[in-house]
Amino acid sequence: MGTAMTENVNNAPVWVNTSNCKACDICVSVCPSGVLGMRYDSTSTLGAMISIDHPEACIGCNECELTCPDFAIYVADKKDYKFAKLTDDAKERQAAIVANNFMSLDQQGVK
Amino acid sequence: MAFNYDKYLRLEKMPTLWCWGCGDGVILKAFVRAIDKLGINRDDVCVVSGIGCSGRFSSYVDFNTVHTTHGRTVAFATGIKLVNPDKHVICVAGDGDALAIGGNHTIHGCRRNIDITMIIINNFIYGLTNSQTSPTTPKGMWTVSQKAGNIDPTFDTCNLAIASGASFVARESMLDPKKLEKVFVKALEHRGFACLDILSNCHINLGRKNKMASAMENLEWIDSITMPKKKYDALTPEEQTNLLPTGILKEDTEADEYCDMYAEIIKVHQGQRKTISQDDFTKKI
Repeated sequence: MGTAMTENVNNAPVWVNTSNCKACDICVSVCPSGVLGMRYDSTSTLGAMISIDHPEACIGCNECELTCPDFAIYVADKKDYKFAKLTDDAKERQAAIVANNFMSLDQQGVK
Repeated sequence: MAFNYDKYLRLEKMPTLWCWGCGDGVILKAFVRAIDKLGINRDDVCVVSGIGCSGRFSSYVDFNTVHTTHGRTVAFATGIKLVNPDKHVICVAGDGDALAIGGNHTIHGCRRNIDITMIIINNFIYGLTNSQTSPTTPKGMWTVSQKAGNIDPTFDTCNLAIASGASFVARESMLDPKKLEKVFVKALEHRGFACLDILSNCHINLGRKNKMASAMENLEWIDSITMPKKKYDALTPEEQTNLLPTGILKEDTEADEYCDMYAEIIKVHQGQRKTISQDDFTKKI
């Protein structure tokens, strides 16, 4: 039985329900500040799984949650969590992740 | 705590059966958020879906749901609405469901202007049965049934709905879920037939042979063929050729709603009034 996991148990800005994630890359593509990235995972459908690499950079824009088709990623409410501001470093990191085929920067090779 | 979707979903059905990156999930999410925003009771909503990938929509939401026969969503929904005029009835159909096999029901639902919200999830292909040409498949694209390239002209869903008499017509794509949510809120609040043409992606069946095999490439293509209505109106007819305007294209709050008229028929049969005459209608022909 699936679960939505809307409860923020670890006081995180953004968290993932990996049993729902199908590794479509959409959340990574819409993130403005390079918080997310894909990692190789041989047990997953498309050979990759979402990972949250830089939670401290999350600006709480909610884009990843809204565009996730599978109810897999969640963002904390603005009332509960103090989000960071968007920096140039974060923007550059996001551009690098997109150029790396949506994989985290320490992951090399073709998916 | 994030937004609580649990209340509106059948969690035992999760994860969804849709492919990775399918726009149907985004539309489902925006729909659930719109219902939550309006504060509608779950028991006051009925979701009617047909056959196709979009037909799964009714399985995942925990409202009153009907999974009907192919193309007959509007027919079933009309019946449901006439006996429950105070409930929200929502049809969910794909482009094949609403425009091909159910095309006749769709145009007559629009004509009657009955208070139904119709969500047409338009992914430009028959996705469930592996990429046959649908009424909205763009010309020249590869499909299983037209391997040399599609030569069939396409339907413009919104123009069809406007011409048929729907009182609320809007087009939006799944690229902007916030706008999608707003359009759902407006459509649910509207009294009359609301026809929503929601563009979605099918990178699996449309994209694989048309050079957009990943969700992102398919979304970029959708972005390239859509334009907000204001910008679109400023263009010359030649520039408008291959573009689809997005936003609310028609909103008519004056049009007679079918359930109101049906209530008058009930009054006639109960002996409360004699007959219905042309004077009862603002628009007679």
